[in-house]
Amino acid sequence: MQGSKLYQSQELAIKYFTVAIILFGAQLLFGLVAAIQFLYPNFLFNTLDFSIARMLHINALVVWLLYAMIGAVYWLLPDEAGIEVVGIKLANIAFYILTAAVAIVVLVYLFVQIGPGKESTIWFITEGREYIEAPRWADIGIVAVVLVFLYNVYATVMKGRHTGILVVLMADLIALAGLYLAGMFYTDNIAVDQYWWWWVVHLWVEATWEVYVAAVGGYILIKTLNANRKVVEMWLWIEVAMMFGSGILGLGHHYFWIGTPEYWWEIGALFSALEPVPLVGLFVHVLYDWGKERGKGNEIKNTPAFAWLTVETFGNFLGAGVWGFMHTLPQINLYTHGTQWPAAHGHLAFFGAYVAIMISAMYLAVQGKAGLERLRMTKAGWWAISLISVGVLLMTVSLTVAAYTQTMVERGMHGATWEGYFIAQANRWFVQGMGWRLAAGLAVIVGYGFLVYDLLTCAKKQPVEEGEKEVAAAAA
Amino acid sequence: MEEKVSVWTSNRFWRRSATWVTGVASVLLIFLTFDSMAQMKMGSAKDIEKKIDRRIPSPVVINYTIDYKLDPYRGHEIPIIGGEMRRPEGGIKSAYEKKEKFFGRDDYSEKEARELIHKGKLTIQAKNCMDCHTLLGNGAYYAPDLTKAWLDPTWETLAPAYNGKEYAIAAFLQDPPKMAMHERKMPNLGITKEEAKAVVAYLKFMSAIDTNGFPRNFGKIKGAVDARK
Amino acid sequence: MIEPCHDVVCSFWSYLNQGPMTLTIILHTLIVLPMIWIYFDEKKRLERGDLPNE
Repeated sequence: MQGSKLYQSQELAIKYFTVAIILFGAQLLFGLVAAIQFLYPNFLFNTLDFSIARMLHINALVVWLLYAMIGAVYWLLPDEAGIEVVGIKLANIAFYILTAAVAIVVLVYLFVQIGPGKESTIWFITEGREYIEAPRWADIGIVAVVLVFLYNVYATVMKGRHTGILVVLMADLIALAGLYLAGMFYTDNIAVDQYWWWWVVHLWVEATWEVYVAAVGGYILIKTLNANRKVVEMWLWIEVAMMFGSGILGLGHHYFWIGTPEYWWEIGALFSALEPVPLVGLFVHVLYDWGKERGKGNEIKNTPAFAWLTVETFGNFLGAGVWGFMHTLPQINLYTHGTQWPAAHGHLAFFGAYVAIMISAMYLAVQGKAGLERLRMTKAGWWAISLISVGVLLMTVSLTVAAYTQTMVERGMHGATWEGYFIAQANRWFVQGMGWRLAAGLAVIVGYGFLVYDLLTCAKKQPVEEGEKEVAAAAA
Repeated sequence: MEEKVSVWTSNRFWRRSATWVTGVASVLLIFLTFDSMAQMKMGSAKDIEKKIDRRIPSPVVINYTIDYKLDPYRGHEIPIIGGEMRRPEGGIKSAYEKKEKFFGRDDYSEKEARELIHKGKLTIQAKNCMDCHTLLGNGAYYAPDLTKAWLDPTWETLAPAYNGKEYAIAAFLQDPPKMAMHERKMPNLGITKEEAKAVVAYLKFMSAIDTNGFPRNFGKIKGAVDARK
Repeated sequence: MIEPCHDVVCSFWSYLNQGPMTLTIILHTLIVLPMIWIYFDEKKRLERGDLPNE
C-alpha cells in the first residue's frame, strides 16, 4: 500500500467520514443537553427543550452512521472490485447535495423547531416521528442521493470483481434503501403509522444494518489480519442466514402493543429471542480468526481498527444481544415497554453494533491515506477507545438501574399513570442512575476529543520500527 | 470409494441457505402484514352501530364513554366503549351505548370526528410530542406515556374545576407551564385552541385502541386500589 | 385439543396460534426444514464434483 495513490472513490469516502465524525460530535453534544435536563429540568427550558435536544441527538446519530456507512462502502468498493467506482463525478455531486440538505434540516430543527398542526409542517419542518423526523422534502432528497449511491455500487460491481462481500452488500443496500420508503407517508391511524415506522427502524437496525456490519466486518478482518477470504465469506453467509432469519420476523417484538393482532406475541418472542445468535457467531468468528492468524505469526496491520472491531463484537453481542433479549419477551415487555429499558439497550446496541465498526473503518482510511504498511495504536487512540467504551457501558448500566426502578415503581406499583410516572422519576435510584449516566456521558465526550485528535494525528505519530531505524541510520 | 466432502464448510451451501431463509422470511412477513393491515384498518360508524369490535375503532368513539377493564375472555384489559356488556362466550366487551358530551356535544358525525383526529394527529407530529412522551409506548421517556392519557386519574381530579376533563386537558395543552404539576414541565408549544381540541380528541380516540392489554393495570395506583373509580 | 381463538378478529394466523409457541414453531420449521434438502443437494453436487469454479 506504501506510496500507492488513493482511488477517487476513497477520497470521497474520507469526505463522508469527515462529516460523519463532526455529526458524531453533534450527537454527543445534544445527548449531553438531554442528559442534563433529566437532572435539571430548567436547563435551557424554552430555548432548547428536551424534545429538540433529543431529536437532534438521535437524528445526528442516524445520519452520521449513514454517512460513515456510505463512506466505508466508497472506501472498500474500488479495493474489492479492483477498479475505480463508476460514476464517481455524480457521487461527488450527490455528496454535496446531501450535506447541504442535512445542514438545512439541522438549522430548521434548531431554529424553527416545531410548526402548526398542518400538512405544511410535515413537508417543511418536521415529521415528528422518532428517528425519521426529517421533513418530507428531505426524504425525497435522501432517496435521490441514495439512488446515485446504489448506481455507483451496482455499476462498479458489474464491471469489476464480484466478491462475496460485494454481493452481500449489493443485496443488503437495496433492501436498506427500499425500506426507507416505508416511512414516507402520513396516516391518521397511529397504529398503522407505527407499524410501518418499525419497518424502517427495526428492519434497518436489526436486519439490514447488521448484515452491512457483517460484510464490512469481514472486509476489515481481511485487511487487518490477512484473514482467509474463503473462511470470512463462509461466515458472512452464515451470518446473513441467521440475521435475516431471526431479524426479519423478529420485527414482531415491536408489534406486541400497538394495536396489532395478538399472534405477533409469539412471532416476536421467539424470532427476536434468536437475534443474539448471529451476534455470538460474529463474536466467535472475529476472536477465532484473531487467534488463528496470531498462531501463524501474522501481525495485525492496523491495531486501532482491529481493536475497535473487537469492541464492536463485544458491544454488539452485549448491547444488541443480551440487553435486547432482557426485555424482548412479551410477558416482560408488557412492563418494560416505554420505560428507560429501551434507552439502556439502545445506547449500548447502537454503540456496539454500529459506532465501533464505523470508527474501525475510519482508522482503515487513516492508514490508507497515509500509505502506511502498519498502523499502531497511539496513546491518544488508547485513551479514546477506553474512555468511549467504558463510558458507554457505564451509561448503559446506569440507565438499566433507572429502568428497573421505573418498571417496578411506575409500572408494577402504580399502574403506569401520570402520577406513577413522576413518582418513579423522583425515586432516588432513578435519579442516581441518571446522575451516573451523565457522568459516564462526560467520559464519552472526553474520549471523543481523544478520538478526533487521534484520527487526525495518529498517522504522523507512529513509532519508528526497528528495521526502519537501521535503514535511516545507514542512509545517514 | 467416494471422496469425503464437507458441506458445512461449503460457501455455496450457506449462500443458498441464506438466500432461502431471507426469501421465505420476507414472504411470510408480507403475508402477515396483509393480514395485520386488514385487522388494523380504522373502523367506521357503521361498525359501532352494529356493535362490531375493531382494533382501531371509528373516531366517532369520542361521542361515547371510554373505560379500560379486565376482560377474562381476552385475558387482559381491553377498551370498553359506551359501557360494557357480557360476551356470549363469557367475559365483557364494549356495548357502544353510553354516550358522553365531548366539548358540549355527543353527536359528532363520522366526517367531523375524522377531521378532528386528522388535525389532532398532524398537531401531535408537528409539535414533536413523540420526542418527550411515548404514544402506544413508543417515543422518548422524558414525559408520561399517552396511550391511555384520556383515562388518567389526574384529569378526573381536575375535571370538576374545568367543567369536564376535555376542557382541563385542552387548557393544559394551551399553556402547560401555567398548570405545571412537577418541576419537569411541558413547554408552551404554541398550541392553539382548535389544535388543543383536536389533540384531546386524538387522545380520547387513542385510548379506545385495543393494545392487547398495554399498559397493564392502568390507573391502579398503589396496588389494589382502583383509582379510576 | 384445538384451542378457540380469543383475539378481536380470528384469521388464519390466529388459528395457528394455539397456546404457547405453536405458531412460531410452525414458522421456524417452514424456514429451517428446506435447509435439510439444500444440505443433501449440495452434498450430492460436492460428491459428483460438478461445481462451477468460484
